[in-house]
Amino acid sequence: MLERMTKFSLDRPKTVIGIVLIVTVLFGLQFPRISIDTDPENMLKPDQPDRVFYNRVKKDFGIHDLIVVGIVDKEGIFRPESLERVARVTSQILKIKGVIIEDVVSLTTTDNIKSSGGFLDIHPVMREISLSSKAVDQIRVDIAENPFLHEKIASVDGTAVALYIPIQKKDMSYRIAKLIRAILQRELLPEQTYHLAGLPVAEDTFGHEMFIQMAVVAPLAFMVILILVFLLFRKLAFLLPVGMDAMFAVIWAMGLLIGTGNTVHIMSSMIPVFLMPIAVMDDVHVLSEFFDRYRVLGDKRRALLEGMQPLYRPMLFTSLTSAAGFASLALADIPPVRVFGLFVAFGIMAAWLFSMTMVPAIISLMSEEKLKKILSEEEGRSSILDRVLKPIGRFAFSRARTVLIFALVLVAVGITGVMQIRINDNPVKWFQKGHPIRVADSVMNRLFGGTYMAYLVAEGKEPGSIKRPEVVDYIGRIQTSLEKSQLVGKTSSVADIVKRINLVLHDNDKAFDKVPDSSEAVGQFLFLFQSSGDPNDLDNFVDREARRANIWIQMKGGDNRQMSAVESDLENFIKTNPLPDGITLHWSGPTYINKVWQDLMVFGMLKAILGSFLVVFFLMMIGFRSLTLGLLSMVPLSVSILLSYGLIGWVGKDYDMPIAVCSSLSLGLGIDFAIHFIQRFQVHYAKSGNIDETNRYMFGEPGRAIARNAIVISLGFLPLVASSLTPYVTVGLFFALLMAFSTISTLFILPAALRIVGPRILNGGKS
Amino acid sequence: MILVMKKAILGVIALVILIVGQAFSEETAEQKMPLSAVRIIEKSQQAFYYQGDDMKTNVTMELIAKSGGQRTRVMSMLRRNATEGGNQKYFIYFHKPGDVRRMTFMVWKYPGKEDDRWIFVPAVDLIKRIAADDKRSSFVGSDFTYEDISGRDVAADTHSLLRSEKLAGRDFYVIESIPQEPSEYTKRLSWIDKKTLLPLKEEYYDVQNELFRVFTADKIENIKVGEGLDENVFPTVTRRTMKNLKTGHRTEVVYSSVSYNLGLKDKDFSERHMRRPPRSWIR
Repeated sequence: MLERMTKFSLDRPKTVIGIVLIVTVLFGLQFPRISIDTDPENMLKPDQPDRVFYNRVKKDFGIHDLIVVGIVDKEGIFRPESLERVARVTSQILKIKGVIIEDVVSLTTTDNIKSSGGFLDIHPVMREISLSSKAVDQIRVDIAENPFLHEKIASVDGTAVALYIPIQKKDMSYRIAKLIRAILQRELLPEQTYHLAGLPVAEDTFGHEMFIQMAVVAPLAFMVILILVFLLFRKLAFLLPVGMDAMFAVIWAMGLLIGTGNTVHIMSSMIPVFLMPIAVMDDVHVLSEFFDRYRVLGDKRRALLEGMQPLYRPMLFTSLTSAAGFASLALADIPPVRVFGLFVAFGIMAAWLFSMTMVPAIISLMSEEKLKKILSEEEGRSSILDRVLKPIGRFAFSRARTVLIFALVLVAVGITGVMQIRINDNPVKWFQKGHPIRVADSVMNRLFGGTYMAYLVAEGKEPGSIKRPEVVDYIGRIQTSLEKSQLVGKTSSVADIVKRINLVLHDNDKAFDKVPDSSEAVGQFLFLFQSSGDPNDLDNFVDREARRANIWIQMKGGDNRQMSAVESDLENFIKTNPLPDGITLHWSGPTYINKVWQDLMVFGMLKAILGSFLVVFFLMMIGFRSLTLGLLSMVPLSVSILLSYGLIGWVGKDYDMPIAVCSSLSLGLGIDFAIHFIQRFQVHYAKSGNIDETNRYMFGEPGRAIARNAIVISLGFLPLVASSLTPYVTVGLFFALLMAFSTISTLFILPAALRIVGPRILNGGKS
Repeated sequence: MILVMKKAILGVIALVILIVGQAFSEETAEQKMPLSAVRIIEKSQQAFYYQGDDMKTNVTMELIAKSGGQRTRVMSMLRRNATEGGNQKYFIYFHKPGDVRRMTFMVWKYPGKEDDRWIFVPAVDLIKRIAADDKRSSFVGSDFTYEDISGRDVAADTHSLLRSEKLAGRDFYVIESIPQEPSEYTKRLSWIDKKTLLPLKEEYYDVQNELFRVFTADKIENIKVGEGLDENVFPTVTRRTMKNLKTGHRTEVVYSSVSYNLGLKDKDFSERHMRRPPRSWIR
């Protein structure tokens, strides 16, 4: 069947190439419809309970995504000329479309409620643009005295102020951030520096850098692959079919992805880079075999047909297993991961189809003279690979037991490492250290109350529940308890508002810095607060019916582990401080949501990897028609996966999104070497009947093909290391490592194992 | 003070204007000589915020969120015009929501400077003076600002008459007002009914030059004042809406039991009455 396809391609090469080209153009035409999605929330399905709850929280409490601007003045921010610049910057930022004007928190836009001279004094913290130094001192005192402003709009050390800029939509943040930067660059004094932080900036910047990565890293990977192929085979003629295969596979996969209306998420942006090295693997086998035969036969058609004969099965199976490995990602509950897996799988099968049809068609169109010339050039070069491979083969074979015992030790080491794996992620860390976003993140979190938001929602059974004094007081005590942690910078809630109003109504008498004891008083204080400033300020903390309250928790770090630590702090508090009647607490907010999807990711990936392990194993059993060979083929890859993940554990690198994704890919790809090795071994042993001789044969041409492919695929992922985004770097490094482990364990363990069990399970010398 | 030919003086730094309250005489005045934009705004403010010597009404405010969630405020509002300078005194007593019942606000309004404000908080039995210069801040959490309730200093904006317009059978002046000092809006367009001089629609543009608030007068009633020869009619906006287009939030206000010229005294607007308002005020 497959052979007939190849034959057809050889008979009608131009038709086949033409059809492929037309389809490729059709897929390529989808590209302009690309839409990028960088919102980590989309890692959760739209109906995922935590996401649904978070959306309700955002709606009910009028919460928008925030860009946080920090302005640091090394000569001290509390100087008239310094604050004047801040005020000018603020008024210009308000003019940017998409900024929610009335909710901007800053010196000039936020009211301070204080008691002064018997008055209830409600004014913006900074009323005028030009100030006396006395007025500046007063501003500093005002901020320090109001827990709502302290550590929020100015740093404790007096070197920095912050502006909190809510925006209408997350996807506006890149544009708005750019305009804000321009304003800051124009207006700030030389001694003033600025930082932009906040999740939307990180996410949107990430999206834009993703575009760049796709435009830079993918072509770079393409070049590297072509160079590698050239270096390994020294045949320029290889580059055309290999290059076309890789490029078309990418166009097909991405074209289908975009054409079917899927968004390009961080995951799917990696498709080209993943697909290209995988796509060329089959071609490398086809071309190696073709040239071997062509040298003997001198006939293109026959050389192709005969060369491909022993490859149909392993190529089908390696492609199927790789595709199955990626497709198993569809088992994960994370939509972008599913999309990624399915479309890479599609691309792999497309590449396989090209290897069966388009690649032979291209070769058949090459001129005989050129091919002959390539052959003559090649004569007489001895391969470095041979000098490495032969000793490996001899060693693994003669010291079979030692090799296997050593492998067992490594497995044990790997397992211990895996047990130490720490699951953790933080989207800000998707940027390299030194990236402005990382710098802003650390500066802002050092100076202010924390830029990572989590929300704790207290919910009562009936309207007005929140106004019960014991509920307000309990909320206040939760805050005090959570703020003891180093991870929590600042918290704000309705309790702060109620206490503040009580205090200022009573002329700053410290005895009234507490929650009053009637719910009427609470209600009237809230009404007073709402009547005196921006009504949205209250809505952020209490819903309309006063049935629910929102506690804002500003964290100093956005790591999942840090979120979990704060959650367990709360659990401990609840244990010793029982909740008021009818009140329940729920976590939400961006930092919490990130933790949720990453937890889902870990278990989703675990499910995916187990699923694909079974699928691949099943395919192997069918392929080899043997349970033992099926099992044996899984050994090198299991060892390499355990080792790679063990290393992650030992090194102490966080198990994050990119690492999780690598796991299922490694299954589909790592098996390729084993398939080729066992298949070739099986076939040759059937002919020769001599296990020793078969092993020596294996470390000749088949070993070289495996090693070459291993080099292409390991180094082919390395261009990712050049990326400015850490998920790419991680994937590139980790994958290179995994493939290297996989190659080594294949080349050592399989000969060792086959020496011991081979004669029993393989039929020798029967044909 | 004579009721038919009523004198009110809009004290706007240097402006003291005498206004003729009768629709008939206004129309003839206009026929003779076109009104300037400033004059139109002044007259409109007069008709909208200064009608009569004093006024009392029950106010129901519905604060309606984009999602449809609704909050109700019910209050009694009294207003008295000072004899000069455009100063006014306001008294607001809250009936609803339940937990704020008996709270009162008192505002002594001065067009050119910071108002005096007081609040009475019954739960702690305290009257507090409030110092706040931001007349553009929200009135009791609604989409209306203090200025929308009590009027904005005419001299705070530069006014220009853009055009006259006929809409739904009525003639309007369309006036553009640009604040002199930075404000939360950068431009206001007012559609002022030529007959009653009431603003029937206002559009507010923010610093991003985007329309963000729209005011509409939805119902106008003629409130009868005086008896016999002194009888007069004050066209009064009894139903109005302010909609915030950016948040989707809107506030609908209904005035009921409107009465004018009750003979309120200046000294009635006192701290004593904030604690214990006369029964007739809050009925």
